[in-house]
Amino acid sequence: MRLPKGEAASGLLLVSPPLVYAILLLAVPLGSIVLLSLWTQNFLTFDTTLTLANYAEAFTDPLYRTLMLRSLAISGSVTLATVLFAFPIAYFVSFHVAPERKALWIFLITIPFWTSYLLRVFAWKVILGFNGVLNTSLLGLGIIDEPLTFILYNANAVVITLAHAYAPFTILPIYVALEKIDRSLLEASRDLGENAFVTFLRVTLPLAMPGVVAATLIVFIPTVGDYVTPVLVGGPDGRMIANMIQIQFLQLNDAPMGSALAISAMTIVAAISLLFLFLMRGFLKERA
Amino acid sequence: MKDPLIVLDQVQKYYDDYHALRGISCEIGKGEFFSLLGPSGCGKTTLLRTIAGFEDVSSGRVLIGGRDMADVPANLRPTNMVFQSYAIFPHLDVAGNVGFGLRKRGDLSADQKKAKVIEALEMVGLAGYGKRPAHALSGGQRQRVALARALVLEPEVLLLDEPLSALDKKMREQMQTELRRLQRHVGITFILVTHDQEEALIMSDRIAVMFEGEIAQLAAPQTLYRRPASRKVAEFIGVMNFLSATSTVSGDTVALDIAGLGKVTLSAEQCPGGAPSGAAVAGLRPETLSVVIDDASATPSHSVTGKVVEVVYYGDMTYYEVALDGAQKPVTISMKNLPGRRVLEIGDTAKVAWDPSALVIFAA
Repeated sequence: MRLPKGEAASGLLLVSPPLVYAILLLAVPLGSIVLLSLWTQNFLTFDTTLTLANYAEAFTDPLYRTLMLRSLAISGSVTLATVLFAFPIAYFVSFHVAPERKALWIFLITIPFWTSYLLRVFAWKVILGFNGVLNTSLLGLGIIDEPLTFILYNANAVVITLAHAYAPFTILPIYVALEKIDRSLLEASRDLGENAFVTFLRVTLPLAMPGVVAATLIVFIPTVGDYVTPVLVGGPDGRMIANMIQIQFLQLNDAPMGSALAISAMTIVAAISLLFLFLMRGFLKERA
Repeated sequence: MKDPLIVLDQVQKYYDDYHALRGISCEIGKGEFFSLLGPSGCGKTTLLRTIAGFEDVSSGRVLIGGRDMADVPANLRPTNMVFQSYAIFPHLDVAGNVGFGLRKRGDLSADQKKAKVIEALEMVGLAGYGKRPAHALSGGQRQRVALARALVLEPEVLLLDEPLSALDKKMREQMQTELRRLQRHVGITFILVTHDQEEALIMSDRIAVMFEGEIAQLAAPQTLYRRPASRKVAEFIGVMNFLSATSTVSGDTVALDIAGLGKVTLSAEQCPGGAPSGAAVAGLRPETLSVVIDDASATPSHSVTGKVVEVVYYGDMTYYEVALDGAQKPVTISMKNLPGRRVLEIGDTAKVAWDPSALVIFAA
């Protein structure tokens, strides 16, 4: 056999290990899920006739619809909250921290990541619980007369916990976008007659948008499918689509239905993300 | 000055321990093309930014149109700036950049604003470029956009922070004449910061030469070149030969014995820094000396002989280094290469003619 020569061959050789890895661990499982979603569960065996019946059910059953819409609403709130909180922090670090201290600040922001995700979720349980840190403090201070119950075992708790968990993911891209802004542009805006606030709206914010868009997607895409947080702090009202997928696979033993739900959720998230990118295209144009 | 627009009164600026501006006082006139010239770190950009309102003064006053600017932020000053990096907004097209500052002009309708943008673009030679995105502009075009963006607001003062330093030589020369023409056309005050002495000489009505936070000399280009106030200014502006001398002052005249040139008596006017007594330095520009070549009939009033030690041929000019008897260093002489004029070679003996009226005397 003749060995292939030249740049293309060496390139192929270089990419093949990760390519094989990616095919085995991404494309094959995804392909199997797609295939599985087109089958139906027949008590203990699969009916391998290809059908879209699972999808029809996924999109018409009111329970699935409620869970999907709730997942999107929770995820959307998490995204909004995270980006709104992250922007001022990123702005502060970029504009008001001395250059030699910036690395330290960014390092401090990543510290929550040193703890496992599960532990952080449990920590929020301790903080938000009926006899938790927050309620005891507020009771002790006399601000409330009885413990707040709307902060744990519901959608609010899921939003709070997820927003905290994803904060660094949003701070970093926004920080990078802000760092890239040539400071003389801000002076130019002042020079052309705009005050600090209008300068922020007309120069800083539009130039930071690529970072905001990235942050939004980084939070929105994974949180729609979050599974652990709703289980631990969500209560019955905080359950999301991923919990239903898990139930289908493990408790109800209906892997095809679970697959169909998973693929539907993925498609919906992809469609929303693409729509978002399309709406934001004006901010993502090529720049000098 | 009959009509000063900007008055700087003992402007001082400290950055912690660093004394960036050490008591700058000067007046800049209406419609003047004024340059701040100096080596990097001399405070010229700091001074410009102080006028723009990006730096506040540690002490002293900045007045524009008679108004103290102490509490006036940059966005409310009647100045606009062309930044060294041009600071073109990357998220806006050319028209968006040029029209940026017009948002607040409530007296103009949208159509009038559009017309002003088009007019400004025409003025800088960018007619029809309005829709072009910022990233698709060359360096020269960016500079024109930055100019149009500032001029469209009709400021009383246009501040230019080394606007030509990023351009290549040819483009720079073209922009120098163009800026000068533009300034005459709009008739407003231009303040240019530059480290390029040639650029300052070409463009300015008056030049302030700055060293270490102080104005060393403020004068029109011709005065600056012919009568530099100090040896430092003379060295910074163009090329000058320095010959050691001894001087004796008597009334309005100075008697000098210059190494390599001999004895001469000059008027005290030729000592811009004051007539020195005793050790002195005589300065001569290369073009005020000449080498007498193949011209037997020429009888210059003052001449000495020397030996050619270096010849640099530039095409239009030839630069000679000629060693004179008694001078420590060879003098540089520039000669026009007129038709039929021979170029001397290294080792030739040369008759060097000089003109006492071109001498500038400094204290040693």
